[in-house]
Amino acid sequence: MANRAAARPRTGTFIDQLAGWLNWWRFIYLLGLIIFLFMILFPFYWMVSSSFKTGAEIAGRTPVYIPSALRLNAYRELFNPAWDHFQNFGVNVLNSIKVAIPTAIIAVILASFGAYAIARLKFRGKELMLNSVLIVYLLPAVLLIIPLFAMLSQLSDRLGFNVQDNLSVLVLTYLAQTLPVALYMLTSYFRTIPDEIEQAGLIDGCSRIGVIWRITLPLAIPALVTVGMYTFMIAWNEFLYALVFLNDRAMFTMPIKINAIFNDPSPRPNVVMAASTIMTIPVIVLFLAFERFLEEGLTAGGVKG
Amino acid sequence: MATVPKPRSLWRSSLQAREVRLAWFLLLPTALIVLGLVLFPAIFSIWISFHKVGLDNLGSVFTAPFVGLDNFKAVFNDFAFKFQNIRQVGAAVTTIIYALVATVLTLVLGLIAALLLNRPFTGRGIIRGIFLFPYVAPVVSVAFVWKWLLDPRPSGVLNNVLMTLGLIDIPKAYLATRGLALPLVILFQGWRYFPFAMLMILARLQAIDSTLYEAADVDGASVWQKFLYVTLPELRYVLGAIFLLRLMWTFNKFDDIWLLTGGGFGTSVLPVLTYQFSFQTRDFGKGAATAMIQLAILVVFLVIYVGIVMRNVDEE
Repeated sequence: MANRAAARPRTGTFIDQLAGWLNWWRFIYLLGLIIFLFMILFPFYWMVSSSFKTGAEIAGRTPVYIPSALRLNAYRELFNPAWDHFQNFGVNVLNSIKVAIPTAIIAVILASFGAYAIARLKFRGKELMLNSVLIVYLLPAVLLIIPLFAMLSQLSDRLGFNVQDNLSVLVLTYLAQTLPVALYMLTSYFRTIPDEIEQAGLIDGCSRIGVIWRITLPLAIPALVTVGMYTFMIAWNEFLYALVFLNDRAMFTMPIKINAIFNDPSPRPNVVMAASTIMTIPVIVLFLAFERFLEEGLTAGGVKG
Repeated sequence: MATVPKPRSLWRSSLQAREVRLAWFLLLPTALIVLGLVLFPAIFSIWISFHKVGLDNLGSVFTAPFVGLDNFKAVFNDFAFKFQNIRQVGAAVTTIIYALVATVLTLVLGLIAALLLNRPFTGRGIIRGIFLFPYVAPVVSVAFVWKWLLDPRPSGVLNNVLMTLGLIDIPKAYLATRGLALPLVILFQGWRYFPFAMLMILARLQAIDSTLYEAADVDGASVWQKFLYVTLPELRYVLGAIFLLRLMWTFNKFDDIWLLTGGGFGTSVLPVLTYQFSFQTRDFGKGAATAMIQLAILVVFLVIYVGIVMRNVDEE
């Protein structure tokens, strides 16, 4: 593209050069890209910019497109105990971390065990198992939550623990949601690692576990990162199960807390947007950091969402 | 699979037995969690849909009275579920319209985005990353941003823009207007999930053999003809797969509609209805029956789809 533009005689003005570079197709491409970028970025801009607005800027008759100053009032309401309507959002951030990180770590460990078994070891029923795992794609979360709620209430009565407001229960249900897909993704990845490398390891006297630990897992790091990120994001973003299982504000994860702030009798959208910004930034940062891995994984496994 | 012939020896069978044992040991935790928290609950919810389960007997759910098809009858007779007239189509029809239109929109937007990003240009990597933002961002954040952009007050962005342009005189409550809420929720779905379709299509586009385009050039094909006769046929399988996946997921989607409209103003879909029956009116039997009906409609769709569309793809 640049070559052709440079090849033109540089006699004209900038506009002439632009006109030379631009043809009908380029114009359509550019226009399409700009429309898409605007549609995607404007809501995110609105979220971040609104979090810096004052109550007056929010409540005005016309929307304020650019806040007059970067005011941190909304963030103070979330984190500063001395502020009016203090939301104690730090606890909710912590709850989300307490749910999302264990879910990601346990899912990666368990799924890599299972995926290794399916990809490498010979036993009956493994194809059946792998395919039946995909049925989970079909089952809506709302269908599972009724029996889960009933079952876990039963269990909690017998075993004496709380189902409601119990973050470990939430981790368990998120694992159930994410493990099947994680297993599927990792199995496909393990199958792309040549068997011969492991055979060589076995012949050299490594044990099975040694082979897994020293050869297979290091080779599968991109897939492990993808699965970890994917399960982390699911747990971090999940709304329905948290809505049903959490009642106590001190146990709320971020999505439920944001929902609660939004439904507050006196609406304060700037606070909602500040909380949303805090919840969104880590996901976007993690995503950008691991984008290359994630795209591979997303297309390989067809992540549920 | 293995090309290396294994050494046959006396202890081979015991080695094999050990391998099987190791396999089950490695699979056990995943199998337990999936069996206990997915498959068993799925079967259990069939059982619940035939029993009277409310908040009062949740603690002794296994002794809940059997009520036959009462729960299903209650759902079918519920005004929120059944088709009354063209303005009140009921949750079953709404769900089908919502899932189909949103899936097609997601596919079309994803296809356009993938075509835009298919050719290399400076900054493509960054732009592709940005294109994925709606898909990775938490649903709660983006739903509330959208809800606020569509705010019914004059300070809502859409109201402000349309009033400045002189297209409307008084502010509209977009998400609280029958006939507007459903298209907007579908638009939100398209906005949020097109990146998924884009990624899959892009991966396939990059794998198309360039000699096909060269041959088309030799034949003097226009850009549009190349798209129609080379690109689209090459994409057919991946488009079919994305359609299937997204249809299932959109069909089962709860969060997006719940957060945007709460299921009101003509956007009541079956997952929302299931939630409302179960956790707002606390009739778990009726909720489970709704979920069963939802699953049944979905399975019928899948059978039709796989039976007709996928078979045609194979034959051609």
